Amino acid sequence: MTTQLKRTPVTVLTGFLGAGKTTLMNRVLTEQHGQRLAVIENEFGEVGIDHELVINADEEIFEMNNGCICCTVRGDLIRIMGNLMKRRDKFDHILIETTGLADPGPVVQTFFVDDDMKEKLFVNAVVTVVDSKHIWEHIDEADEAKEQIAFADVILLNKCDLVSPADLDRLEARIKAMNGMARVHRTINAEIEIQRILEVGGFNLDHAMTVDPKFLEPEYPFEWGGVFQLPAGEAQFIATQNPDPSMKLTLIPVKSGSEDELARARELAVRIFSLDAKEVSAGQSLHCDVHLYELMLSEGEQRWTLQVPETSFYAVFTEHYPEELDLKLCVGTREVVAAPAAAYKPDHEHDEEVTSVGIEADGDCDESKLNQWLSKLLRERGTDIFRMKGVFAIHGSDQRLIFQGVHMLLDTQDGGSWGVRKRRNILVFIGRNLDREELNAGFRACSV
Amino acid sequence: MFGLSNKGKPEAVSMKSAATLMPEAWRAEVEDHVLDLRWSPDGTMLAALPSLGSIVIYQHDGGVLARLPAHAGGNGAIAWHPKKPLLATYGHDSTVRFHATPFRDAPTEFVLEKGWADRIAWNQDGTLLAATVGKKLFILNADSGAVLQTMPDHKSTICDIAWNPCMKNQITSVCDGGARMWRVGEAKPFAHFDWGGASLIVTWSPDGRWVVTGDQTPSVHLYDVKRRHPLHIQGYETKMKTMAWQSDSAWLATGGGKSITVWPCTGKKGPEGSKPIQLFGHLGDAVCMDFAPKQPLLVSGGRDGLLLLWMPHRADSPALISQRNNEITAVRWGPDNAAFAFGTETGEVFLLKVSLR
Repeated sequence: MTTQLKRTPVTVLTGFLGAGKTTLMNRVLTEQHGQRLAVIENEFGEVGIDHELVINADEEIFEMNNGCICCTVRGDLIRIMGNLMKRRDKFDHILIETTGLADPGPVVQTFFVDDDMKEKLFVNAVVTVVDSKHIWEHIDEADEAKEQIAFADVILLNKCDLVSPADLDRLEARIKAMNGMARVHRTINAEIEIQRILEVGGFNLDHAMTVDPKFLEPEYPFEWGGVFQLPAGEAQFIATQNPDPSMKLTLIPVKSGSEDELARARELAVRIFSLDAKEVSAGQSLHCDVHLYELMLSEGEQRWTLQVPETSFYAVFTEHYPEELDLKLCVGTREVVAAPAAAYKPDHEHDEEVTSVGIEADGDCDESKLNQWLSKLLRERGTDIFRMKGVFAIHGSDQRLIFQGVHMLLDTQDGGSWGVRKRRNILVFIGRNLDREELNAGFRACSV
Repeated sequence: MFGLSNKGKPEAVSMKSAATLMPEAWRAEVEDHVLDLRWSPDGTMLAALPSLGSIVIYQHDGGVLARLPAHAGGNGAIAWHPKKPLLATYGHDSTVRFHATPFRDAPTEFVLEKGWADRIAWNQDGTLLAATVGKKLFILNADSGAVLQTMPDHKSTICDIAWNPCMKNQITSVCDGGARMWRVGEAKPFAHFDWGGASLIVTWSPDGRWVVTGDQTPSVHLYDVKRRHPLHIQGYETKMKTMAWQSDSAWLATGGGKSITVWPCTGKKGPEGSKPIQLFGHLGDAVCMDFAPKQPLLVSGGRDGLLLLWMPHRADSPALISQRNNEITAVRWGPDNAAFAFGTETGEVFLLKVSLR
């Protein structure tokens, strides 16, 4: 008897002025994707498309009489969307373009707070277009820029042809430190497969994990580690690039060139990286003595001599990827290749105010404890938590419980049967001043 | 301040059928989702407003008297003149059209500014027509169509308007920032009730005592004009979607969620300190309601496709009038109490005969 409502996806497009939002919007409008779109713009668009509907909006915020900023919604969206939903020729997808200075919070909250919107629509994705060249002018100063990045499911590093690959790497690392959940694409003129914008799926956390598998891994103070087999005597570190003024490095003797030995050394290296570094300029020597060295970099080719006490295996951990410095380890004229070697998710030197925390745990959790923990957490820290997503394995249920939230607001849905999949819980929080340990401990207390 | 409680809410309500008391007389179809249904004051014509497409005028027997042109960009509102054989239509082309019955002549058109345009209302004696465009409220002379006054920018796009039924020059507009009370001819509102939130719908009690807003924050604000006293009712599950007054102003029905809450509005204090009647029966949100003009009967339509008949003062189980597969979007009693019309999201329009005693 009750009407089966199919919820219509909504994609929210954000980004600072000049980042390329309009270019992306025009691309979506003109490309053949087979979907009937309604576009809500802030200005009447210059692109007139017969089969699409373009509507002007004013970004009107509805304040709440309980004063809660988490509950503020966009009144214009409620009005316009409500009107669109009253048309027989329903749209396949609704695209909302925000102004460059818009806070994405009320836009996303609209689909959590307003019962009509919640019933008929869902957020497919928040897509943030970033001007790769000029974002540095805003990223530290403007809250809107930070929040647009923090709220994003998809981030386009646009105009990437205007910056060097090293700067782009630096920007991507910075952005991932703020929002480890978002899928990051590098674009020129906002050129991207439209499916990557329109078919994100909101709740598709499994997909999100495939984009940045390092996101849930622990963070390390170094980006690379590898084991070298070296003969007794002297070896040479040779660097020909200097993107940074210095780079930290340590050497740890290990028993063999195995993954296990590299993993054991990695834990020791974490502790060594917390020590004071000894600066070594080009021409000076390093020793395999469990010290933290800081190679001081300057122009042109530079060499450091490594004193090797005995023929054996040595694990080396570097603050940055060796490729960034074109760093080689040579014995005589022969370059020695590390085996095994691994890249690590670095912790971030930027001391970000906005960060993301991922938690992954196998097994089940207790629904009642989870409710209590999340309720308390969102009540006390909801204003600082911009977005969260997750999937839970609830003890006693064979269904995946999927949730996503914005600030204090939480929405859950049945994610289908676990089937043969391994039962595990994944949570992602993006917010301001998040306490990783506290979040981890809170969730661990909910496990069965 | 009141708190509503749904404790004791029944899981399912057994219903008797009212189909025999309100048998279907005819059904018809308009081109899209029925936004509104309006009876002419003499009850001989029913205007059906779809979201897109022609506005259709039905005779009492279901015959189509006229198909009036749609408004480009979507229809917004219709309103029968209270005293003359005239229907005003309005829509997102910002054009007000006056159609004189029997609709043989071309309408008179008045084009306002571009913007969101979906509310019009005649004042009590039909001398003035109010129309909203975005954040502005326009007052038009009913004879010439000339804009007599533009009420200045509101805080957000105006969500709803309502004339004071007892004062022909007083109108209330609502938007973010609550309600503004205007006197035609005065540049500023003579009262502004900013309750700290956004109001979505507004209604005056037929006796002109109460002005009531339904809000985005699930609550209702009332202002007792007689006592100059505001009331705030909280505890609703959802934002307000519909409100209806009994014709003698004794009861106010408020709805938006699955339950309907009915407040007594008589006595010195009205709803203050009183216990409301809560009506349970809908399985989805109640989105439209109307009281019978001459009996204490309420009809409600919901997203669940149920059309229910209530005797609110008895707080009894509802009677099921009709059960559709899609949302009931508009309900309207005929002014003579002898007919009742409802519309659906798929554009169906039904007329039921009323044989209630």
